[in-house]
Amino acid sequence: MLFTLAAASLIRHRTRTLLAILGVAVSAAMLLDMVMLSSGMRESFRGLLQGQGFQLRLSPKGTLPFDTDATIRNADSLLALVRARPGVLAVSPVLGGQLHVPTPHGAVTSSVLGIIPSVEGDYDVVGGRQPAAPNEMVANRQLLDALHLRVGDTLRGAAGYDAQLRALSGERTLRIVGLARFIYMAAEQKGAAVPIETLRRMQGPDADDRISLAMIRLRPGANADSEGVAIERLLPRVTVISIAAALNQVDERLSYFRQLAVILGAVSLVVGFLLVTTLVTVSVNERIGEIAVMRAIGVHRWRIVLQIVMESGAMMLVAAPLGLALGLVTARYLNSILARFPGVPARLDFFLFQPSAAFTALGLLALSGVLAGVYPSWRSASLPIAITLRQEAVG
Amino acid sequence: MLVHTLLFALAIAAQQDSVRAPARTIAIDERLATDAHLRIGDRVSLSAQPGDSGHVAVIAAIVRRGADPAEVARSEYKIRLHLTQLQALLGYGDRVDRYAVATRNDAAIADAQARINDAAFGFHAHRSRDIAVQTSATFAVVSRFHRAIGVITIVASAIFLLCIMLLKVDERRRDVAALRLMGISARTIVRGVVLEAAGIAIVGSAVGVALGAAASWLVNAHYQDVYRTPLRFSVVSGDIVVLAVSLSLVLGIAAGWLAAKRLVSTPPLSLFGR
Repeated sequence: MLFTLAAASLIRHRTRTLLAILGVAVSAAMLLDMVMLSSGMRESFRGLLQGQGFQLRLSPKGTLPFDTDATIRNADSLLALVRARPGVLAVSPVLGGQLHVPTPHGAVTSSVLGIIPSVEGDYDVVGGRQPAAPNEMVANRQLLDALHLRVGDTLRGAAGYDAQLRALSGERTLRIVGLARFIYMAAEQKGAAVPIETLRRMQGPDADDRISLAMIRLRPGANADSEGVAIERLLPRVTVISIAAALNQVDERLSYFRQLAVILGAVSLVVGFLLVTTLVTVSVNERIGEIAVMRAIGVHRWRIVLQIVMESGAMMLVAAPLGLALGLVTARYLNSILARFPGVPARLDFFLFQPSAAFTALGLLALSGVLAGVYPSWRSASLPIAITLRQEAVG
Repeated sequence: MLVHTLLFALAIAAQQDSVRAPARTIAIDERLATDAHLRIGDRVSLSAQPGDSGHVAVIAAIVRRGADPAEVARSEYKIRLHLTQLQALLGYGDRVDRYAVATRNDAAIADAQARINDAAFGFHAHRSRDIAVQTSATFAVVSRFHRAIGVITIVASAIFLLCIMLLKVDERRRDVAALRLMGISARTIVRGVVLEAAGIAIVGSAVGVALGAAASWLVNAHYQDVYRTPLRFSVVSGDIVVLAVSLSLVLGIAAGWLAAKRLVSTPPLSLFGR
């Protein structure tokens, strides 16, 4: 009975109901997007960091990994100390640099990582194999396309330029043995990886025994925070970054987006709430006589309130799935815009769908729908019956 | 690169001991001065690696950061050294990361760039304007993101406005029915409603512009404090005000016209509920 009355009331004003549902759906879409944005970046970045199973990152004192060109000297002996710790399972050193490949149309420049293939955690091999010997390399699709090369081809690459001699420095013939997808590189970034000793030899004496970063995998049960503190005490020239610390840094740098998400999410919720409140208030005002009659024939005040709350709840319920679908589409579009951020890993999602985000958006919408209906319905159900009936009859 | 290396690798400590050679001067930024409680005239020890024996320098100036979008999210400190001082500190030889070249006039830029690039090996000359575009790529992306959010907001506002106008006009169906029965033409009624909608849109726009200006002031105050930068994050420009007011007027008038047309197309007696 209650449901029938609520449905009849909504159907009576089809255009109004349809517009309200559309309005709430757009608000719901925006709300879902903002909930996804507020938590998505953090969770997506956490996934990137955890995906390769390294719990700690070791970088030059005061720096974040690859945030500067600073390197760690005497790295081999320092890393031997780290490897000797009982909680440490594996250490993956990384040296960063540039690879210049001369072509008839000018040099193609790419980022290059020096790694130990057996423990690396910077890329996935999607074709071919890992480098197994010096002067072997893997490259990503962007670099291969720029050079018009394939796995199995060779190239002449250099680590730098000597402007005085007008010659490439550290030139080597490198054989491409694998196609790689780099985890932390931006979408358009050209990338390659070679054994760390190969890159050190290419970069010359300056790079000897240096690394840019080391990733540390801990044994099961080892505490990342206490290991980090112990390693920093052991090696005063390095900064050890745990996943939690890295996430905090990301939070700090991308705090703008989180705050924007909170503000826009709140605005969307308020707009949806105001829209439903306005509609329900007007709808109730139009039906004051009807409500007074219902009260006069003995319908309890709470049943009237419940019926009107059901109307607003029904609008929210119909709009919510529409809004969620719209939200997923717009999130995809907005994500494609933010994915072009310079230097942001291609695999990072700003808008990450998580069921909890959808439930949060739905829950907030349902709550605002109920709240939007409560006040106008209670006010109308509380009007004096006789006076209201008389006023309605006289007009 | 040179600057970045320095940003993170500097270890700073108050220098208590006397020094033999006269110390060279440096400039530090306001943020570092505040956080490290440093003042002009203080002596500090600078080293490229923690634990290295440092070079002593005297703080000669405290500088305020420029409003550079590329640096806004980086919470690092900045120190300016003499070139030779930094080269010695880093063991960098006589290398530099970049040159800035001033030309006699704008017309000479292209020619200078071409001649440098013809002779260059291992470096490339870029126009300052191109570099500015590249370094502000972050803000270009943010700007596109804001535009997309703006479009969604406009769609939501349009639906909201249409709903409100529909309700507002709907509330007056008895008045409209009476006017129609008195012989007032549907066209006149529609014009009246549209005029009213335009009035509401103008007043709403004025309130919106005031709210926007206040929100912009709050945004700037908040983010300038968070990022410790003089950069203005939000600017309510004349173009934006004109766009917002025009959009609001167009949407308001369209919503009023649609609602009024719907009402006048209903027979007057039906509007009376008969």
